Amino acid sequence: MTNTLPSRKLKAGLGAKTHLGNLCFLLPTILLFSIVVLIPVIQGIPYSFTSWKSIVSTNHPYNGLANYKYLLGNKYFRMSLKVTFSFTLQYMFLSMLFGFGLALLIHKASSFNNVCRTIFFLPFTTSVTAGAIIWSYVYTDIYGTLTGLVSPLGLPNQIVPAMALMASWRDMGYAMLIFIAALQTVPKDYYEAATVEGANAWQQFIYITIPNIVPAFTTNVTLLLAWGLRTFDLPSVVAQNMQEGQTTAMYIYQSIFANNKASLGQAAAIILTIILIVLTQIVTRVLRRMEVEA
Amino acid sequence: MEEKLHAFNPNTKTHRRKVRNERIRKLFVCLCVVVVLAPFYVAILYAFKPATEITSNRLAFTRNPTLENFRRVIFENPLFGIGLRNSLVNTIPCVLILMACTSMAAWVLARFDHLRAYKVLYAVLTLGLLVPFQCFVLPLYLNWYNAGLVSTNIGFIIARAGLQISISLTAITGFVKTVPRELEQAASIDGCNRFQLFWKIVFPLMTPINTTQLVLNTLFIWNDYSTAIILLREKESKTLTLAQIQYFNGKTTELNEAFAFFILAMIPILALYLSCQRYIISGITAGAVKG
Repeated sequence: MTNTLPSRKLKAGLGAKTHLGNLCFLLPTILLFSIVVLIPVIQGIPYSFTSWKSIVSTNHPYNGLANYKYLLGNKYFRMSLKVTFSFTLQYMFLSMLFGFGLALLIHKASSFNNVCRTIFFLPFTTSVTAGAIIWSYVYTDIYGTLTGLVSPLGLPNQIVPAMALMASWRDMGYAMLIFIAALQTVPKDYYEAATVEGANAWQQFIYITIPNIVPAFTTNVTLLLAWGLRTFDLPSVVAQNMQEGQTTAMYIYQSIFANNKASLGQAAAIILTIILIVLTQIVTRVLRRMEVEA
Repeated sequence: MEEKLHAFNPNTKTHRRKVRNERIRKLFVCLCVVVVLAPFYVAILYAFKPATEITSNRLAFTRNPTLENFRRVIFENPLFGIGLRNSLVNTIPCVLILMACTSMAAWVLARFDHLRAYKVLYAVLTLGLLVPFQCFVLPLYLNWYNAGLVSTNIGFIIARAGLQISISLTAITGFVKTVPRELEQAASIDGCNRFQLFWKIVFPLMTPINTTQLVLNTLFIWNDYSTAIILLREKESKTLTLAQIQYFNGKTTELNEAFAFFILAMIPILALYLSCQRYIISGITAGAVKG
């Protein structure tokens, strides 16, 4: 009530002067965002309808949907999409699993748990590239020594799960913190009431914990989905020479900056963007509906 | 103490089981800690190993730990000095610019969120959360190239700040909505103009979220690779994160030096993380509850 009243008053008294003042506050952000993101996004769309080759040439003749047609039938592009999807799924699954598991273990406030939280988030502070290189030695030195097997990064059929594990090592701490925040919001008396009613720990977990933290799942899924689909730095360090590990983001980079197929890369980027937006919308809708039901 | 617990827990069996479960939990958590830290151990192992040492057991810590690898990185690798300078010169102004811009914008966007125009503007400014960098990397690079901004500190600062706006703005706007308006109204009645009101009253109230964003943005920008590899083409413009890769473009003979480089590059960010970790944790969780 206290909040709605002044805001209504504010609305009534709003003049052009207020909006002009607001614009001063907004202008730096709008300018920065337009120059870096908004204008380039718009500029990029027409590029994808040309047969522009090298980025240094100024010659880009219109060729309609040829790039899109070519890409949809192209073996390497389709493979990169397959790699991206498979990586994203495994990465999301592992990050959520580890993140949720750790959150359940250490969500209560205590100094032991606080120290553990700091440690589990530590991998997120490393750069993806350094982490990737360190992990390639974890695979040869630790994994190799313990199992006597070759590094999965060298095997075409294991490289994607190997990368997903590396990526989830880095990002599970982020997912964990989001889960911990949600677990701490579940009212304690729910559990007390359930105990009085005779519900066991498992029943409490299924009927109290899970329904109350659905929003944390939504946040994590959307975040990890977006991070997974645009993965570039990790494969560009460890999968440089292996087709089976190349993601769409890498395909785009290679096309534009290495293979002199600028417009083709731009079209691939637009396809990736559309996929990302559509998938995010679907996933958010589905999860939000679950939140309402829960 | 023991007696008291018994008084509350007449069933000592349950109590003993609780203690046992707690021990198992702690043991398991410690095991997780070891697994999570293992990659760091590998990096430290290599960085302190003399370049000539070849041991039969690759996992054992070296008998002759040396600082030679670190010395060679700092004094003999010119890319380390260049990288450190660029990382500092890029990251610090970038996070400060971001803080000034996004906190001003977030305040207005949060306070006027009942008006359609501001809602639309907020939606547009947070579009960066959905559109991947690859979608506009080509036009961005060309614009930067034509403006002479490729391989410059200022070019990287502008680009990186712009890329970070959406995520920062979401967090700060969410925070401002939880700050009551009463203080602002009192100040405006006292005759403060909008700018005085913002910098004297509102900005100090935003300190918790601004600190969090400052730390998180530093993390993201210091560790940035995708943007840096495209916009920083010349050797003199490379950041530490970008310079790390040099060791893995062919030569693997300087492996120990490479890991020493990683560790040195990690130290500033690690120091920041350990001293400000409570802000990071509160920042991520604050954004999460809001959804």
